[in-house]
Amino acid sequence: MKNQFLKLPIIIFFIILFIFFYLLIIDRNPSKVPSALLNKSVPSFNAETLFKNKKFSSSEEFGGQVILVNFFATWCKPCRNEHVFIKRFAEDQNIKVIGINYKDDAEKAIEWLKKLGNPYSSVAIDKNGKIAIDWGVYGIPETFIVNSKGKIKYRHVGAITAKRYKKINQIIKEIE
Amino acid sequence: MFKNILKIIISILLVQISLINSNAVEPDEILNNQKYEIRAREISKNIRCMVCQNQSIDDSSSSIARDLRILIRSKIEEGNEDKEIYKFLTKRYGDFILLKPPLKTNTIALWFLPFVFLLVGILVILNHNKKSNKFIKK
Repeated sequence: MKNQFLKLPIIIFFIILFIFFYLLIIDRNPSKVPSALLNKSVPSFNAETLFKNKKFSSSEEFGGQVILVNFFATWCKPCRNEHVFIKRFAEDQNIKVIGINYKDDAEKAIEWLKKLGNPYSSVAIDKNGKIAIDWGVYGIPETFIVNSKGKIKYRHVGAITAKRYKKINQIIKEIE
Repeated sequence: MFKNILKIIISILLVQISLINSNAVEPDEILNNQKYEIRAREISKNIRCMVCQNQSIDDSSSSIARDLRILIRSKIEEGNEDKEIYKFLTKRYGDFILLKPPLKTNTIALWFLPFVFLLVGILVILNHNKKSNKFIKK
């Protein structure tokens, strides 16, 4: 009887140890939070745009095709690094990319896009970060895949790398 | 000797007090309505700063924390209940934004396992005592 009772805590200890090791080994990043908006419709918003003299209206822009939404700013270094991949989405893959210019200077952003190339079909201006909060964004760059029904299917926090570029392309193909 | 020790203790306590009061709320954020401000502070203390390690937005000086503090204050001024503000935030950022995980089916283990462990521990100790009492009597 005594031995049995002493065994129990040891067994529990090893189970906990196993769970910890399992969580360590599997490929996951605990600091990356899955979006609460996955499989939900895009938040509706209206905003000024960078290039067009037209207001940006989410109800007009989303739906009908797979769309990438990319939060960026000129002051954000990783945004510059991933810009080449954003361009490849638009040019090589023919995907509509909507840019959201986060807490930025409009003039600087226009200059930045003229210099580096503008992959965005339109750029909404998020001057005070309110649109970002509606999308659950907490650090830029962030990129979302929205399906043809206007539902958010994927979210990537941080700059897009070559590896991530491939993965996002794969996901887009699956969604299509 | 005693006086010196007392001095040291008091100075340590004073440092502690100043640490307790440290927070990141900036003067321009503070609401004129004190009741609203207290509510905003209470909510802010329960909201995780997503880009920091285990800090509430009340403690954090990051820009997203500031945005959320301002948002909470404007929601309060618009007449939203605390519950509605928490719902607004979890709808966008998920339960992760709450520093205290809510009691849900997927967090039952998290909330109740400590009690189970405590119970097991008590049983083990009781059993052990019983055995050793028998041994002493022998």
